[in-house]
Amino acid sequence: MHRPAVLPPRAWAFPEPAEHPLPNGMRLLLVDLPGQHVLSLRVVLALPVSQEVPGTEGATLLMTRALDEGTARHTSEEIAELSERHGIAWGAGAGERGVHLGVEVTARHLGTALDLVTECLTEATFPEAEVARLVRHRLADIAHDQADPGARASLEFIRTYFDPRDRPHQPLGGTRASVAALDPDVLRDRHASLTPAGGAVVLTGDLSACGDVVAAVAATLGSWAGSGGPAEAPAAARRADDAGRVVLVERPGLAQTELYLGRPGPDRRTPHGWGTYQTLGMVLGGSPHARIDQVLREERGYTYGVRAGFRPRATGGLTVAGGSVRADATVPALRELLDILAVPGAELTEPEVRAAADFVSMTAPGRYGTADAVADEIVSLVSDGLEPRVVTATLEQLRGLTAAQVGAAWDEVLAGPGWTVVLVGDPQHAAGLQDLGIGPVSVVTGS
Amino acid sequence: MPLDFPVVTSTLPNGLRLVVSEDHSVPSVSVTLWVDVGSRHEQPGRTGLAHLFEHLMFQGSELVAEGEHMSLLMAQGGRSNATTSFDRTTYVESVPSGALELALWLEGDRHGHLLPALTQDNLDNQRDVVVEEKRQRYDTVPYGAALEHACRLVFPEDHPYHHTTIGSMADLSAATLEDVHAFFRAHYGPSTTTLVLVGDVTPEQARVLAERHLGHLEDTSEPRPAPSAPLGPLPQPVALDIVGDVPSERLYLCFRLPAVTDPDFLPCAMALDALASLSVSRLYRRLLRHEETVSGVSASVLGLADGASLGLLVLDVSESVDPSVVEAAVHEELVRMGVEGPSEVELEASRADTERSWLEALASFDDRADLLARASVIFGDPQHVNTYLDDVVAVTGEQVRRAAAEWLRPASVATIRFRQVRGVDEDVAAAEVLAASGVAP
Repeated sequence: MHRPAVLPPRAWAFPEPAEHPLPNGMRLLLVDLPGQHVLSLRVVLALPVSQEVPGTEGATLLMTRALDEGTARHTSEEIAELSERHGIAWGAGAGERGVHLGVEVTARHLGTALDLVTECLTEATFPEAEVARLVRHRLADIAHDQADPGARASLEFIRTYFDPRDRPHQPLGGTRASVAALDPDVLRDRHASLTPAGGAVVLTGDLSACGDVVAAVAATLGSWAGSGGPAEAPAAARRADDAGRVVLVERPGLAQTELYLGRPGPDRRTPHGWGTYQTLGMVLGGSPHARIDQVLREERGYTYGVRAGFRPRATGGLTVAGGSVRADATVPALRELLDILAVPGAELTEPEVRAAADFVSMTAPGRYGTADAVADEIVSLVSDGLEPRVVTATLEQLRGLTAAQVGAAWDEVLAGPGWTVVLVGDPQHAAGLQDLGIGPVSVVTGS
Repeated sequence: MPLDFPVVTSTLPNGLRLVVSEDHSVPSVSVTLWVDVGSRHEQPGRTGLAHLFEHLMFQGSELVAEGEHMSLLMAQGGRSNATTSFDRTTYVESVPSGALELALWLEGDRHGHLLPALTQDNLDNQRDVVVEEKRQRYDTVPYGAALEHACRLVFPEDHPYHHTTIGSMADLSAATLEDVHAFFRAHYGPSTTTLVLVGDVTPEQARVLAERHLGHLEDTSEPRPAPSAPLGPLPQPVALDIVGDVPSERLYLCFRLPAVTDPDFLPCAMALDALASLSVSRLYRRLLRHEETVSGVSASVLGLADGASLGLLVLDVSESVDPSVVEAAVHEELVRMGVEGPSEVELEASRADTERSWLEALASFDDRADLLARASVIFGDPQHVNTYLDDVVAVTGEQVRRAAAEWLRPASVATIRFRQVRGVDEDVAAAEVLAASGVAP
């Protein structure tokens, strides 16, 4: 039987949020998604980690995680009980530009969730015992990250790639030393810098049973005044002068070697259009049949998968590739990976670019089918200073994208500074790495 | 009140079951083919074959070239994947509605006509990929071998759940092309397959397309094995100490539980919730908040079909705390749960958490398709997705207490202790590390 024809995709656009100003100046972005019974509520606030006092790196993340560890009205255990009896699941995180709080909650408990999040933002007390406990757990997490080859590689990468004078040189969540130094006063100082200015509340899901949500949010999160001054932009994230080198983190006897390669890349405001880079990521390393895994996985059997893509920052970003490969194939695998990534833009073909661009644009309806996926995308955009309509604009750009445009964007990456290469694996690989000609090789201890 | 996700079921003349849940909220359809073959169907000496197929099914079939299954769908905005577990292998796609027919044609070709394309070359290559998958997921990460050890300790040697899905690499390299072909013929066929479609498709369209592309499949599969006799709790405690380079000492307390369809399974799962899954759970409060002897505690249940399931409590022991102190405290709380049952708050929180996470899972077409397939095959009724939360609400504290008293006793626990080198014997440990790194002491 012949292959069935594919019918053109039905029209679809990323849901346009309804926007309402809140009394404290925050934006409320609402997306009603009928049938999505679990609502996703997010609060996005500008608070760059680059403002942390040197030596207290990780304070922003820990402060955010400690918001529900005690308020003027409730102890940590009371908040946990109140949340869990109503099925409210909390999340909190920090990024380059700021912090976000989130809850997932069924519609009938939205009121409780709004009250709780507001109370935590407004009245968090950062009790001594709870902060000490969170510090200990964060230190345990750091130890676990150090032990995981993938996480260890990314830690070594930022240390090698970013200028030691800039905040991104250190992990977002801090180091052992900086986290060990955190106490309630440091967190209270960070908390005092939180401001509604430039912030947003995002609420997605089936809002039909929620009554007047605008009034409900205005009366709760919209009444939070904060105490910080105007939000600042993140500070610089410069590449280190000596970033063009190879670092091998010793892990004797490791059965695979973890590879992590990075070099400068674009931010989302790139004149090439962000969709161009999403497409490039797919072409190079987005699937088992992309350029990298077609060779390393499907032809050679060196790996379960090596991926490539782009990590945007507020200004500029990173081009990254990485994955783990069979230990005895470390040097040949890295050599082939570097060769594949050296492909000149002119060699990218129209069919592969079209397939990749179509994949990115046509998977959108499925990718954004749930309340949390829609909320997370809006959070990611507004915290990067972009509007939600960017999603639909990017999808339109993808429809007309050509191999020449994608090739030009890749050539620009290749014309910039070269790769920083980090490996985690057996120290015996060091000798072979010298011969690759991609910069000086140093070996560092695994711990 | 039951949920009301629409479900329409039918069976094609060749025995393939079809389940459709129509939802036009976004113009996409999620496809799941649930094949009733998992690691529990493997024979001794031939473990890992079920999972190997998850790879081989992307290497081409009679009319589809190697890699084309995924690349054709991707070019149309489709995502495809496959997963293997103890009880089943699932093949999944999420496609724009207009590409649904292409997806089903591709599935028909590989589920009905795989063998012409299953060659020695792609068998060899995918075996290599699986070896790297095992290294990446299990061998090079701390505690990566925990599940494998748990299954070995909890289930008897001849039990279908004694080995995990990744299987033995020695078995895999011993498998011949003929073994692999025979495995496909024995396990893949319309009578072992359930097709679930969720999303922008009507049941009528679904039926026409399923008939057109999967209706011709012929059945060569062998009858499914007779169910194993239900297992009771472990007759006596067992323990395994593993000394190595781990970031923190960790305890896995592993329990045999009843099969996922047994009325006692849900009360067992809720007992484990009450013990450790939530912030209000007693082990979280006692060990993590108050005594501070652990930095992490969690519980999980692996609900399985064939006469038994697996329950786990996992505890990360705080630095410089003796793990035996933590173990003793857990045993106390297990006993107390069996005597007193859960608190009202633990029970209420478990119900509320289950409700939210069940609704979150059903929110996505992909997960809804998976849960519908599981409901159809394991529970024999796709409507189980709509009634599950009512079952959860109906569980009483007394049922949870009784389940804990029977299944979660310290006398029935298999304990795996990941110990740090320095926590055991400094001299012996130092010698082992030096030997391992090839440096003379």
